[in-house]
Amino acid sequence: MGVLMEVKHLVTRFHTQEGIVYAVNDVSYKLNEGETLGVVGESGSGKSVHALSIMRLIPSPPGRIENGEVFFQGRDLLQLPNDQMRLVRGAEIAMIFQDPMTSLNPVLTIGTQLTESLKLHMGMNEKDASARAAELLGMVGIPDAQRRLKNYPHQFSGGMRQRVMIAMALSCNPKLLIADEPTTALDVTIQAQIIELVKKLRDQFGMAIIWISHDLGVVAGLADTVQVMYGGRIVERGPAGDVFKDTRHPYTLGLLKSLPRHDRRQQNERLIQIEGQPPDMRIPPVGCPFYVRCPMRIEGLCDKQMPPLIPGPESGSPDHIKACWVDVRTGKTLTEDIPASVQAEVQNV
Amino acid sequence: MSSPAAAAPVTANQPAGILSGDKRVPLVKVRNLKKHFPINSGLIIQRQVGAVKAVDDISFDVYTGETLGLVGESGCGKSTTGRTVLQLYKPTSGSIEFEGHELTTMKPDELRKMRRRMQMIFQDPFASLNPRMSVGNIIAEPLRVHKIYDNKQEMLEFVEDLMQKVGLNPYYVNRYPHEFSGGQRQRIGIARALALKPSFIVADEPISALDVSIQAQVVNLLEDLQSEFNLTYLFIAHDLSMVRHICDRVAVMYLGKIVEFGPIDEVYENPQHPYTHSLLSAVPVPDPDIERNRQRIILTGDVPSPARPPLGCNFNTRCPVAVPGICYQEPDPELLEVSPGHWAACHRVLPF
Repeated sequence: MGVLMEVKHLVTRFHTQEGIVYAVNDVSYKLNEGETLGVVGESGSGKSVHALSIMRLIPSPPGRIENGEVFFQGRDLLQLPNDQMRLVRGAEIAMIFQDPMTSLNPVLTIGTQLTESLKLHMGMNEKDASARAAELLGMVGIPDAQRRLKNYPHQFSGGMRQRVMIAMALSCNPKLLIADEPTTALDVTIQAQIIELVKKLRDQFGMAIIWISHDLGVVAGLADTVQVMYGGRIVERGPAGDVFKDTRHPYTLGLLKSLPRHDRRQQNERLIQIEGQPPDMRIPPVGCPFYVRCPMRIEGLCDKQMPPLIPGPESGSPDHIKACWVDVRTGKTLTEDIPASVQAEVQNV
Repeated sequence: MSSPAAAAPVTANQPAGILSGDKRVPLVKVRNLKKHFPINSGLIIQRQVGAVKAVDDISFDVYTGETLGLVGESGCGKSTTGRTVLQLYKPTSGSIEFEGHELTTMKPDELRKMRRRMQMIFQDPFASLNPRMSVGNIIAEPLRVHKIYDNKQEMLEFVEDLMQKVGLNPYYVNRYPHEFSGGQRQRIGIARALALKPSFIVADEPISALDVSIQAQVVNLLEDLQSEFNLTYLFIAHDLSMVRHICDRVAVMYLGKIVEFGPIDEVYENPQHPYTHSLLSAVPVPDPDIERNRQRIILTGDVPSPARPPLGCNFNTRCPVAVPGICYQEPDPELLEVSPGHWAACHRVLPF
């Protein structure tokens, strides 16, 4: 499997009246063809903004991609002229959003909206496009597709609208599907339907998926690789099994511990909570973003120096990387990674 | 049983939830509660053409000091139930008894006094706080409405003390809601609900709008406050994992009816209703090994409109085990006690 997309040192900031919001701070990773990447994080972690930056959909002003490269099949998307980027969106990279009602145009029929991209990107005529649209609706499990093409978005339920969005996203056989919290607004039984559908279509179309979610459970069932984001940075990344079972970052560990499980008895147990509040993204990033909330923080080190995102010496696999100065199993500092300049300082602490 | 005054006796087909030999006193007794919202048609002369049966004949007890969970998908009537129990909606019929007093026939001024004893925590910490009021004023408002304090200084001290209890710095008493994060705002909402020292709190999805790392904080706070003030909770939620953690008993609702009811571990480990079964199987688990090997029951279709519930069992349009005949004809299945305190409304729980 070749590399489909490579994100290098992506930095996105918003210049607002209240100051600069440091939304994405130096994010780099590779995505393979056909790979499903689960991006986990809370609100303000930069998970959505990083995806919108890839698509160049950041509202500007106030937003600005200040640094970085996004190589997609050899081209740097951030350098493409606008008209060429427009050909990439929808055709090669498609995106679905959390709330299907706000992403569908309420005054146009589903048919009009579905055939639009087919005519634009695939050069189809009205008749072919409409036949293909009906076929796509059938594929995402909407019964009576031919007739439903004439319906407006309000005539569909929430789950059905998300199916329409998926049909629209897959209409031009994209190489990459970016799904930004696509099941968050849906009920669990409908969420299970949509996830099942995406798994089926993934096998059928073979596209790569970036699935953005705050729900660790959803990502656990879907993703090959999991990437945990906090404060605009990747803090841990690796094969799903490693990240969930052999967790190496205190934030990921804290999240997993704080989640109650519906399949386990737990009366009279107290939840293990992560203390403190989510970070204020208006404060310029210095050191580890999780520092103030971290139970294992090392003063003078973690608040001064951002740890590199590398496989720690304790890591089992070279693909399992994390950005932390501490070995979470022992609470000991991983001094061998620390640059010599900082090491002297740490020894004094 | 349409007379709201007549509190129906506990009969065999009512899930009063009284375990054999259970001597606990119910704080809230709900019997045959219905809340139907009329659908009107006509431009000038409005005529009722139907009704949304948001809550359709449900009965349950909430015991002093327990947490009763109310779960179900959107539109199942769980929030309407919570609001009707607090008399924020006038019930269509049925009876609600609170601390031995019938609420549905109570005079408005008596009801207002009663409201000190029962409060609500809302889902959206952004919409439920007045942006023009300072935190101190928001928390003190119920105290003013009910004229609890004559002395302003005493009231302020009480408010600051309460802020401390819910984990807010009293130093922020003069700040406004927009200066706080979602989790802190929810703490303000909790402090407001606690200001009148209630015994019963309806918490309507109190954590669903919060970040994952904040949810555990708020749930721990709710549990601490429960033991400190001996509170009784009606906890409405769709997050089944959190419900298992916080609740003692749970009622599963579908299309305005309770379909399963019982002690929490019993319902989660031994679900009797096919809806509970599929609901539990749809909840993702943060463990890739379990997720990959899990057999899911994927329900087809959506929840039918509560304005036009299907004939027979409400779940028959999506039920994987519905049988022709009995499941598709009236009467609806009744709640039957399958084991002590565990009730389910399904024709299939009985051998036939």
